[in-house]
Amino acid sequence: MKKIKRSWAEPYKMKMVELLKITTSAQRKKALQDAGFNTFLLKSEDVYIDLLTDSGTAAMSDRQWAGMMLGDEAYAGSKNYYHLENVVKNVYGYKYLVPTHQGRGAENILSRILIKKGDIIPGNMYFTTTRLHQELAGGKFEDIIIDEAHDAENEFDFKGNIDLNKLDRLVKKHGVSKIPYVSIATSVNMAGGQPISMKNLKELSSYCKKQKIRIIHDMTRVAENAYFIQQKEKGYANKSVKDIVKEINSYTDGATMSAKKDALVNIGGFLALNEWDIFEEARNMVVVYEGLHTYGGLAGRDMEAMAIGIAESVDDDHIRARVGQVIYLGNKMLEYHVPIVKPIGGHGIFVDAKKFLPHIPQKNFPAQTLAAEIYLDSGVRTMERGVVSAGRKANGENYYPKLELVRFTIPRRVYTQAHMDVIAESAARVFEKRNKIKGLKMIYEPKYLRFFQAKFEKL
Amino acid sequence: MNTIIEPFRIKSVEPIYFNTKEERKYILEKAFYNLFHIHSKDVLIDLLTDSGTSAMSSNQWAGIMQGDESYAGSPSFFKFEKTVQEITGMPLVIPTHQGRAAEKILFSILGGKGKYFVSNTLFDTTRANIEFTGAQGIDLLCAEGKLPSVPAAFKGNMDIEAFKNFIAEKGAANIPLCIITVTNNSGGGQPVSIQNIKKVKEICIENNIPFFIDACRFAENCWFIKQREKGYADKSVKEIAWELFSYADGCTMSAKKDAFANIGGFLAMNDETLAMQCRNLLIITEGFPTYGGLAGRDLEAIAIGLQEVLDENYLQYRIRSIEYLTNKLIEEGVPVMQPAGGHAVYLDAKEMLPNIAASQYPAQALAGALYTEGGIRSVEIGSLMFGKYDEHKKLIPAQMELVRLAIPRRVYTQSHIDYVAEVIIEVYKNRKQIKGLQIIEEAPALRHFTAKLKPLF
Repeated sequence: MKKIKRSWAEPYKMKMVELLKITTSAQRKKALQDAGFNTFLLKSEDVYIDLLTDSGTAAMSDRQWAGMMLGDEAYAGSKNYYHLENVVKNVYGYKYLVPTHQGRGAENILSRILIKKGDIIPGNMYFTTTRLHQELAGGKFEDIIIDEAHDAENEFDFKGNIDLNKLDRLVKKHGVSKIPYVSIATSVNMAGGQPISMKNLKELSSYCKKQKIRIIHDMTRVAENAYFIQQKEKGYANKSVKDIVKEINSYTDGATMSAKKDALVNIGGFLALNEWDIFEEARNMVVVYEGLHTYGGLAGRDMEAMAIGIAESVDDDHIRARVGQVIYLGNKMLEYHVPIVKPIGGHGIFVDAKKFLPHIPQKNFPAQTLAAEIYLDSGVRTMERGVVSAGRKANGENYYPKLELVRFTIPRRVYTQAHMDVIAESAARVFEKRNKIKGLKMIYEPKYLRFFQAKFEKL
Repeated sequence: MNTIIEPFRIKSVEPIYFNTKEERKYILEKAFYNLFHIHSKDVLIDLLTDSGTSAMSSNQWAGIMQGDESYAGSPSFFKFEKTVQEITGMPLVIPTHQGRAAEKILFSILGGKGKYFVSNTLFDTTRANIEFTGAQGIDLLCAEGKLPSVPAAFKGNMDIEAFKNFIAEKGAANIPLCIITVTNNSGGGQPVSIQNIKKVKEICIENNIPFFIDACRFAENCWFIKQREKGYADKSVKEIAWELFSYADGCTMSAKKDAFANIGGFLAMNDETLAMQCRNLLIITEGFPTYGGLAGRDLEAIAIGLQEVLDENYLQYRIRSIEYLTNKLIEEGVPVMQPAGGHAVYLDAKEMLPNIAASQYPAQALAGALYTEGGIRSVEIGSLMFGKYDEHKKLIPAQMELVRLAIPRRVYTQSHIDYVAEVIIEVYKNRKQIKGLQIIEEAPALRHFTAKLKPLF
């Protein structure tokens, strides 16, 4: 008798839908040409399934939409601000809140307050905007993630972990005074959405306490990280994601948050702090860049949606369905032998372009090429996370990252299982004809964060 | 018929919570006599700002539901871009999460130590953004603009002679930008005439200085032009706006004012190189160029709002309702800025409270009294907002001591406004009881937002 499979399903049903346009191959070819082979420059109406990012693309719940109607748009002292402040305190455990219009607004303010020229900021792998803000404030990012993270094949469960020896070497070399904080991300995006373990965090925290170095937490996908701890780390199987999130945060001294990811909103972010002095400085600075500290550049309704979204994001059933869908897609791709980063991460599938297109050298942008080919095949929009995203060093040379990936990021609560099937099948079809694919040449390169606006042509 | 009715009706309401005078006394004390610290639920009529506080139309709410939240290339962006292009005639449109972010980007590129940004009057965040780069902001307002009680048609105009002299003194090379605020917010919401803008533009061309418009309240300004300037009575507001923008090389806009949006702003311009530089900075602090730190739905709401504000029935209602409140106050002898401006009523605290020195912040004291008396939240535009210290830590007072009662768009009814007038008149009658204030804590920049004060006895 065949073994009966027990499926899970989403803990929600659809209440409102958005119509999609189906394009022809000829239309896609033209759209791609017009976009200079950069998926960022495609018009979204030419895209069938949009996996460019999981940022700001979530479907809000009916409760969040109801919250949108309760927006209090007062310039100062909005009710929604106090609600959000309360939720951040209760769910995340941080004391002081400064809302910002996005995560990068929080990074900008934090970097300007804490980083002096010549400082070193160790972290578990760079992220594009985070590193840029650190550099613009005069600091230098140093990668202290474990070596396993740079190996797409390695199946270690917690590839987001920090190598404490690497950190210790930096501390010994530069001295504590040069290190304003250690920057840790939960669910390390550039490593493929890989989690950090609680054990590693505890060790990091006790090391940093001893050395008197702050830990600042990029918490944009903290709930997804917590889910992996619950599933894979000893001693956490019976704890709720909510409790695990709170425990993670308790080992850190402050956080930047892009609420456009885990917190299920289309816009918003914040800086959360436990130190009053830094909070006060941040509150004065937020007025210049973002808006008064009780709205931080957000409409009142968006603070309300965020407060509700945060509470929904740490629900066990929600997270299981969320990560479950990503794993479903990953397993489908593995069945078709598409080379992907393993283990499967929390917010997307990262296809290994170096293995996919071994005949294209990194200087001809294999990941950028692959993203373009996937779009051409099916109208699925993905994103390059390789040499184009890595940018250039201060001396003008390209960073050549070990990982040359194409990210298939899954928006939260938006696509169905049938959409996942289409995506996996498209990746499989391109994989079949991979030998015929040619690389790209960059013909326009912007100064900052070049991956957003660069243009290419076919070789 | 004399009564002008609103060209809309109410579709959704928000409750107001009532409190007593005793409770408000206590709340104000707890808020350190700074109305920015008061929770909005403790305010009966919130006239703190007209920024981001509008009631959106049902069409805008429908747009909110249609927002396309794609990170890149959202149709909501293209709709927004097209609308801005059609109104301003400027081809390059860059969204930002608010007006101050647009300013921040522009001034970071053009500013720097030793540079001067010339204006009719710069608003608080605008000035702060300029000074943050090390440059100086220079206000060259026409003489009549500085006299609150003397009515004139275009009190927001720039002083042309002073502008010429300033260029001669500092050199055009040190002036990276001339930016005119329409209407002139800090100076009483007073309009700028097309004639004045033309002259400013001529001088800018002669001296090779780029000319921008701070366009937050462009439609209100254009309505005043239609009413007051020779040759414009028969032109539509849309045509006047088109002409206004045609003289400028670019504009900054907070869509939270005349575009009826609760969040959002933009930069628009003609110069491709400058736009490229702006987009490079935009990505760092705001977001990708097709969303600029806004949700797709907000781009939709702005696009729709920009069309709605050009409706002349609306503008007539809007300006007349400000006039209505102003005239009620004038009848009772309350000293107000004259004539009525476009978005707010400005009380002249210097004249009303002659016994309170600038160093005791008379306008802030008056704003506190309005809150205690009737739960009305207004904002000080005087020495707390614009005062500076000299090298001996002595206060250099602002030119005027005003209390601004900004009227949110499409939010309050005539009976709310009647109530506001009654409260102001009551406070005016008992003005001798108002006491000055003293600062006990302040931030180095934009102190009025967070300063703590206490009354002098």
